[in-house]
Amino acid sequence: MSQSVLHFALVGNPNCGKTALFNCLTGAKAKVANYAGVTVEKRSGPLAGLSRPAELIDLPGTYSLYVASPDEQVARRVILGEMAGEVRPDVLVAVIDATNIKLGLRLVLELKALGLPMVLVLNLADAARSRGINIRTELLAERLGMPVVETVAVRKNGVGDLQTALRSLAASVQTRTGNLSLPERSEAVESVYARIDALLAECVDAPEFTPRWQDKLDALVMHPVLGVAILAAILLLMFQAVFAWAAPVMDGIETLVGWLGEQVGALLPAGILHDFVVDGLIAGMGSVLVFLPQIIILFAFILALEDSGYLPRAAFLLDRMMRGVGLSGRSFIPLLSSFACAVPGIMSTRSIANPRERLVTIMTAPLMTCSARLPVYALVIGAFIPHRTVWGLFNLQGLTLFCLYIAGIASAALVAWITRQQQGEGNSFPLLLELPNYRWPNLYHFLVGLKERAWIFLSRVGTVILALSIVLWFLATFPHAPEDATLPAIEYSFAGMLGKLIQPLFEPLGFNWQMCIALIPAMAAREVAVSTLATVYAVSGGEDALGSSLAHSWTVPVALAYLAWFVYAPQCLSTIAVVRRETNSVRATLIFTGYLFALAYVAALLVRQLSAIWL
Amino acid sequence: MPSAHTPLHQLPKGAKATIVDIVSHAVFGDMDEQVTLRLKELGFLPGAMLQVIGFGLFGSDPVAVRINGTKFGLRRAEAEKVLATIHPM
Repeated sequence: MSQSVLHFALVGNPNCGKTALFNCLTGAKAKVANYAGVTVEKRSGPLAGLSRPAELIDLPGTYSLYVASPDEQVARRVILGEMAGEVRPDVLVAVIDATNIKLGLRLVLELKALGLPMVLVLNLADAARSRGINIRTELLAERLGMPVVETVAVRKNGVGDLQTALRSLAASVQTRTGNLSLPERSEAVESVYARIDALLAECVDAPEFTPRWQDKLDALVMHPVLGVAILAAILLLMFQAVFAWAAPVMDGIETLVGWLGEQVGALLPAGILHDFVVDGLIAGMGSVLVFLPQIIILFAFILALEDSGYLPRAAFLLDRMMRGVGLSGRSFIPLLSSFACAVPGIMSTRSIANPRERLVTIMTAPLMTCSARLPVYALVIGAFIPHRTVWGLFNLQGLTLFCLYIAGIASAALVAWITRQQQGEGNSFPLLLELPNYRWPNLYHFLVGLKERAWIFLSRVGTVILALSIVLWFLATFPHAPEDATLPAIEYSFAGMLGKLIQPLFEPLGFNWQMCIALIPAMAAREVAVSTLATVYAVSGGEDALGSSLAHSWTVPVALAYLAWFVYAPQCLSTIAVVRRETNSVRATLIFTGYLFALAYVAALLVRQLSAIWL
Repeated sequence: MPSAHTPLHQLPKGAKATIVDIVSHAVFGDMDEQVTLRLKELGFLPGAMLQVIGFGLFGSDPVAVRINGTKFGLRRAEAEKVLATIHPM
């Protein structure tokens, strides 16, 4: 039985560096998945270098095994072996932020009472040392009866020590099955803390000290007025960057795709295969691939903000305001993640303990402009909004994009507010937000995260979008136009027929049938609307060329109405699927889909009519 | 004037105080005991020292405090559960 897989689990308070440690230990070979039915992101990966096969699992951060919000319950249930489809861990790797030992030790004592083999990791040991915190690890290990290792998130020597500790544990531990049960809570919190204080007095010298720059930064960032100004500036910078900084790289990708099309095209004889490869495959995938730089920039901002410790401050600042519409500071992070993609955003609503608030956050998350909408926005804005500098600082296109983001946010606030009026204010699980120490984002961890996101996008280009490009090219090519055709060939194709079929529905919005065709595959992925438009307008040569042909065939009010449609419409099957899974309710999913489509329709109608009057 | 037992949110910014008691609060209903426990688990125990470091956008809600070297944000309702005596500045 010595070859059976040994399961290790990383457990600890939120934000103590578990995931960074996980990346180091597994070489970032993480499989990212979700807990079935509970959907907190689950990471697991192989733990190399032990005498037997082993797997490491990264559990969601938790303060307690007894009092738990839903995401904390995941950690408890996995540890106890109550989670279906999850093997109970054989060894717990408890992680403590060494600058915050007291809080961490309380959880460690709870875990220790379970009787599983454990290792204690004092992470962020360098930060602790620079604050004059001196931990006698050998004594602590003796008192706790478990090995204690100091690590510095990525520095190799600490991780090496940890690996040594894990190796020696792996040699002695037997895999066992069956559930554990949580012992009755027999000891008052006061007496646990008394034990911890005694332990700390013996093992740790910790001067009362936080770095002054941290406090100064907090005074600034959490200032009621300055803090909000800083937050607004960060968000504006983020959106300007997405638009402006990405441009040169995007031009480069476009040129490259065009060149590739030419090279491959030259190799193929003229005919159906040539058209398929050049116009269908290369142009279709190229037109979506070009948005990779924007997506990378957006995620770079989100990951850096997440890692720096800034986000909880923003949640703190906005809490009162968000409560005004029935949400809380806790909803801020899921909603912010939804700017990248509503799917992880909705998944991260697990950390919202109040079920009603969680539902409202899920319902409004897709109103946050996700990165898949960027290609569509970028295309339409590029074609219809003049490239001009206003107020000497901002470019008008970036500003328009900013307005689209604001429209989504304002609508979300309105929707949340209306729901609250209907349902009344329930009592809520406490906010009790930990405001972690600021730190420089860990470069390795940051790059791993960025790579993961880029990879998710690229694999979509390679799978869903590739398949859709093929289907679309087929729909747009067959049946062929008759010999004596007078109209563009696509009007005779299946795509043309389909677009014309649904077009009457969109007539009041001013959408022509080309625009309607683009909406159909965009249900699988919004960004495909761009490649569809490229196909139906038979344009090759990149976004600029497509933009100029759109500028000739759409009026400005209709283009704006199209943007408004994309602000609201739940044009994304994966989002609908994740709502279904998260709410576990068909009714909620139908309401979700229905209300967003209705909103999209009304908004597009209003925008078209009003802008026709004003412009 | 802050009396000897002042709820957390009524303390001025920058004030240092010692927690005297964690009291029950009708707002939390059946959850009140859970909320008290969570507060205690995070270190909000009678005798613990804390410092008020800031307030949210509007008024004294939420309030940020430092306790045992960790900073937490608490809403008005949670803050009302925590009674403290202020240290002379």
